Amino acid sequence: MTAARIPVTVLTGFLGSGKTTVLNRLLRQPALDGTLAIINEFGAVGLDHLLVETSQERFALLDNGCICCTVRDDLVATLKDIVARSNAGELPEVKRVLIETTGLADPVPILHTLIVDPDLSPLFAIDGVTVTVDAVNGLPTLASHQEAMKQVAVADRVLITKADIADEKETLRLERRLARLAPTADRMLVAHGDIDAEKILGAGGFHPEGLSADVALWFREAARAADQADAHGHDCDDPQCGHAHHHHHHDHAHDAAQESAHAGIQSYAFVIDEPVEWAAFAQWLEYLTMLKGADLLRMKGLIHLSDDPARPMVVHAVQSIVHPPARLAAWPDDDRRTRIVFIVRDIPRETVERTLARFASIGAGSISRPARQEELA
Amino acid sequence: MTEKPATADLIAKNGRIYTVDGNRSWASAIAVRSGRIIAIGDEAAVAPHHGAETKVVDLGGRMAMPGIVDVHTHLMMGGQAELFELRFSNLLRRDAILKLVREAAEKTPEGKWVIGAQWGSDLISTLNTEESLKALDAASLGRPVMLRDDTYHNRWVNTAAMKLAGIDKANKDPDQGSFGRDPKTGALTGVMIEAAAGLIERTIVTSGHYSEEMDRAAMARSIATLNSYGVTAVLDAAAMQPVMAALKGLDDRGQLTAWAAAAMPVTEPSFMFGIAGEELFATRESYRSKHVKPDFTKVFLDGVPGARTAAFHEPYTPDPILGCCFRGTTLATVPELVRWVGRCEELGLSVKIHCAGDAAVTQALDAIDVVRSFNGPTALTHHIAHASYIAPGDIKRFAELGVAADLSPFIWYPTSFLEGHKQTMGVERATRFWPNKELLAAGTLMAGGSDWPVIPNPDPWNGMEGLVTRQNPSGDFAGEALWPEQALDIATVIEIFTINSARVMGWDKTIGSLEIGKSADFIVLDRNVMEIASDEIADVNVLETYFEGRLVFERGAGA
Repeated sequence: MTAARIPVTVLTGFLGSGKTTVLNRLLRQPALDGTLAIINEFGAVGLDHLLVETSQERFALLDNGCICCTVRDDLVATLKDIVARSNAGELPEVKRVLIETTGLADPVPILHTLIVDPDLSPLFAIDGVTVTVDAVNGLPTLASHQEAMKQVAVADRVLITKADIADEKETLRLERRLARLAPTADRMLVAHGDIDAEKILGAGGFHPEGLSADVALWFREAARAADQADAHGHDCDDPQCGHAHHHHHHDHAHDAAQESAHAGIQSYAFVIDEPVEWAAFAQWLEYLTMLKGADLLRMKGLIHLSDDPARPMVVHAVQSIVHPPARLAAWPDDDRRTRIVFIVRDIPRETVERTLARFASIGAGSISRPARQEELA
Repeated sequence: MTEKPATADLIAKNGRIYTVDGNRSWASAIAVRSGRIIAIGDEAAVAPHHGAETKVVDLGGRMAMPGIVDVHTHLMMGGQAELFELRFSNLLRRDAILKLVREAAEKTPEGKWVIGAQWGSDLISTLNTEESLKALDAASLGRPVMLRDDTYHNRWVNTAAMKLAGIDKANKDPDQGSFGRDPKTGALTGVMIEAAAGLIERTIVTSGHYSEEMDRAAMARSIATLNSYGVTAVLDAAAMQPVMAALKGLDDRGQLTAWAAAAMPVTEPSFMFGIAGEELFATRESYRSKHVKPDFTKVFLDGVPGARTAAFHEPYTPDPILGCCFRGTTLATVPELVRWVGRCEELGLSVKIHCAGDAAVTQALDAIDVVRSFNGPTALTHHIAHASYIAPGDIKRFAELGVAADLSPFIWYPTSFLEGHKQTMGVERATRFWPNKELLAAGTLMAGGSDWPVIPNPDPWNGMEGLVTRQNPSGDFAGEALWPEQALDIATVIEIFTINSARVMGWDKTIGSLEIGKSADFIVLDRNVMEIASDEIADVNVLETYFEGRLVFERGAGA
């Protein structure tokens, strides 16, 4: 094996939201040749028709060279075992890993394991988190299950399933809700689990060359989601939703900083209008993830570095995990200001603002909230 | 209709009771029921609670006050040494020590350890020979023997002890330590330097040498010693599992006569062995009991100034090995400290950070500053121990960040410690030691601690006199005072040793002053400490100590 790390995609989604159907379709596509799929169980939806070989060991070899297995005692042991067998020639070469979580799982510990485990981290790279949300049951599920909300909040891709059988208005409301919960994620409608693998792979933005468009996109998305939330706030069917709006504080410029009363999950963004010292910023980020990791669902930033202004740094954190920062070859658009988006649970925006100024050596006057989407575009 | 007043179990009257309650500083009588104060004031205030079963104590006009709260002790060691170990002076020479070892070995069952202290570290070259080891082996009668030196860093052990620890001449020296070898023959001598000493101590601990009963007995002895000085609440500043188990074990048996908070080390300390950090924190609920509160952790951020292991902003005096500009080092970085403090806050644990040098203090404050900036206010109180050398700019930060100054040990006056500091730092810097008055003026929450057995006995009256006079109460260093401008008044000092320490331990609703509803922990003194000359404070004798209304120490009652 060479030093190239194996990309890992985590597929999550609440019970019955169609994960396995999506997985089933994905595995038939040539782009996923050589994929190791790790799933909870060969469940009701079943992959039996794809299986060419099964064994006592909970392994299944698919005809396109994919390996399926169920998670054993723990993911680490399973991955190490499979890599060893693959290297020994007992199993086909593993080109990619797709992990399907249980419906109630929090995907973050899986990411954490892959990044932190000293044996696994040199072998694997996180490609991204894809979540399935059922258009029929999605809203009530999100309203009543914290786990479902968190799955969405940490996702890079949101697949809205069963849109073909759902009420159209209901689907639109779900989309708005998702936009607020995960403004940095891409949303796609899928029917019968049909999704082009290319749209899911390479999602995480961990390859610098794939980042430019992505970064600009998610920042605009974040601002747009906030705008929409403002425009449609009255639409919200959750009684707490309107309540939260009454409490929107002090400042009329919170447009892009949509805050949601739902379980304290909120998103907000900052623009920083001065060059950033990387060392100080990295120190601040370390403190943030250390102290607030549990409530930091997502953080993405495009940083204008004082010592390398032509090449922005992309930072990306999920809870206490900071992905290795990557430098882009060039700015994705004309805006060369530092931009950072947060999806958090109960971390006041003021805390982020204040600590950025104190520990990242950024002048408080240079930190602002993004204005309207027009300005960002 | 009013309810009939509850009948007191105990009424103490005719006293001069200093309450440390700002609303009523003095009272003459106190009534106790079920361990709590139900009335305090004059005799008329307690009279309605006087029933047929009430025990009445006449204080005879003596001063009483709340029990002392010691915010920094190492509880079990003192009791262990007193009960189970051979104790000898560091002035004894080799053959006199060997004679004591033989006597102890005769009384020790086969297979059990003989443990003793403390030989003078000036004996190292005498002991570090093959011949001395043979003599020790002969005196040991086959028992494994370990003898500690007076720095607590080194040991002298016999062949049986090395065998149990798996040490033979083929072993390489451990990191940061060495095995003594005869300079002539190269043979092992049983002298264990620094980290090597830990290998032996660990062997003893893992052998189960100290049974739970022995631990409880040692703990009971320590607490009894503290009670005799009027101490009724303590914080153990390095609480490993055996310490907490002994406290809980005594409390379950109704035999714990002090409130005990426990600070669990985040990493294994150099002088104690066993699990630490997260693994230890995870056990804490199993040790919680009515009087035992394992809600603290301990971080050792640096060493001590005399050994040039404390971290300072300015360099130590030049040293042949460390060079011209050594400042000492801290054992953790600011981000590492931030991680610990943040994690402890998540778990609801207050952190006590050992900071002997001013740079360590700065670093601890910086880390807490980071945590406060991200986490906002907290109900937890973190402690900086020992808060002794403090950069002028840091004084005000204690109060700003809500950090308590744990003033310990009792060396707020000229001592041999200070003499050592003068050698390593120069007189001018060494004597800018304990800026207590400045801390007070800045609004710092200051609490008193002994750091027993770092100082040989936990007598707080000695410490209190030193806080007031800045002179050595023993008469040593006569005519000298340490930075006398930093002296405090006795009323402040009493607060430091009662309500402030209680506050720092999160127990100020329960102890630290004599008020209705609080625990009836009070002490009776042989003189009025508020009125006597300040150089007489160390002479105060505690006549009686009451813990939850129960007499747990009585002077002259026989031990």
